[in-house]
Amino acid sequence: MLEVKNLSHIYMAGTPFQVTALKDVSLKVEKGEFIGIIGETGSGKSTLVQHFNGLLKPTSGDVLLGGENIWSGKISMRAIRSRVALLFQYPEHQLFEETVYKDVAFGPRNLGLSEKDVKERVCYALKLMGLDYKSYKDRSPFSLSGGEKRRVAMAGILAMKPEVIILDEPTAGMDPSGRRHLLKQIEKLHREENITVIMVTHNMDEVSRLADRLFVFSAGRLVLQGRPAEVFNSAKTIKEIGLELPVLSELLQKLRNSGKNIRTDLFSVEEVGREILEHYRRG
Amino acid sequence: MRAITLGHYLPGDSLLHKLDPRIKLLCLLVLIVTLFLVRTFWGFILFGAFIFIIFLIAKLPWRYFLRGLRPVLYIILFTLILHFLFTKGGKVYWRLGPLSVEEAGIYMGTFMTLRLILLVVTTLLITLTTSPISFADGIEFMLRPFRRLGIPGHEIAMMMTIALRFIPTLMEESDKIRKAQIARGADFETGNIFRRARNLVPLLVPLFVSAFRRADELAIAMEARCYQGGKGRTKMRELHTKPLDYFGLFTSFGMMLVILLGRV
Repeated sequence: MLEVKNLSHIYMAGTPFQVTALKDVSLKVEKGEFIGIIGETGSGKSTLVQHFNGLLKPTSGDVLLGGENIWSGKISMRAIRSRVALLFQYPEHQLFEETVYKDVAFGPRNLGLSEKDVKERVCYALKLMGLDYKSYKDRSPFSLSGGEKRRVAMAGILAMKPEVIILDEPTAGMDPSGRRHLLKQIEKLHREENITVIMVTHNMDEVSRLADRLFVFSAGRLVLQGRPAEVFNSAKTIKEIGLELPVLSELLQKLRNSGKNIRTDLFSVEEVGREILEHYRRG
Repeated sequence: MRAITLGHYLPGDSLLHKLDPRIKLLCLLVLIVTLFLVRTFWGFILFGAFIFIIFLIAKLPWRYFLRGLRPVLYIILFTLILHFLFTKGGKVYWRLGPLSVEEAGIYMGTFMTLRLILLVVTTLLITLTTSPISFADGIEFMLRPFRRLGIPGHEIAMMMTIALRFIPTLMEESDKIRKAQIARGADFETGNIFRRARNLVPLLVPLFVSAFRRADELAIAMEARCYQGGKGRTKMRELHTKPLDYFGLFTSFGMMLVILLGRV
């Protein structure tokens, strides 16, 4: 449903500060997928995702949403942004209203919904993020804890009922429990609300477990793509471009390289534990 | 990234880039004074030619000068029209009621416009070739004689440096917040001026919050490194004047003398 074709992006073209951020990238995201985008800092991931909802205009190439070129002028930008929501890194920095309610309502109000619908959306979004409507709606977003702020910011995006949500390092700077909690909620969104999720991240362990498919970027190019098992099988390429394997894949691949007949395409602690136990049981 | 060319730095390695910032500021001062000493069009031609040679030495793309002139375009137009319509004297070219365009008006209008344009171009030549940090160093030096009057030169320069240092950071931050709010359907581009001003709230509140947070973090970082102001402070980059610098200063004063003695 979301597709880019031969996309290139050059920042500040024609000045001495010119930087090529993306070079000839083509990829396709299907409805209902959970996509992981990985790559070193400065590899063009963030630039790429800003093209998905028209925040950046490609220097060359096309961005298609549901088969329609988003720059053709046939669909309004507002419509695109309500369908494809983007949450930047440290989204808590975008909070500005006096109350949680007003902040979450900002998006739906911009869509021109009636006050009744707005209220319904706010309720829905806060609930999805596991925040109790009654006890949070009148609090100031600036008085919340870091994790709560982030969930409010995310609710602000979800209140627009998007088909696709793009999350730029959603767990950056969070403590382990906050991280686990947030990831569970993202997983739930994907599963229960059938929202297409595109997650940009540096955390290989998280993304290998959650994503259906991965896109790997290096220096503005798409270098690898496929299911996590396929991508992390190219251990050499992954390490060459400055990334790491998920800890569990690293373990399984080391066991395999030492001659054990063991599967390497598992990404959760439970599965890997079972596989190793079974291997030793088999003898 | 748009109308901020005035005071924007373009890295390079021309002779002008290598000039000591203190000398450059002094030269700028001398040249501005010279510009106001010019009394005839011949003087402007002379001065213009001088500036053109420096422009060639600086190896800057001329687009930057056009872009730098854009913000002052209205002031220039305003001056021109005001003089054309209200300065009286000489031959009358056109008349409508109390308004008339007369010879002296055209002369003064063109004269002032040329002066303004040359002023901006001269300033741009210096600001485009001086990095903000060395600029602040230059200012600190120039303020040194005023220390007796209680003017804290070092502190002013430090404030300038910090302000300049944070312009790109805050620009980037505002760009990010703007995009984040646009992604939530915010509209910063349409509507009348009051509507637009109100629509800026979602941008300004987070920007202020983050500016205060950054200021706080910076203050703590400076405290942690025992920053105590200018007293007894040494410099990482000591400025040394070279023969080239004296040559630059000499040329600027030379230009001033030519204009003064030539009575042009």
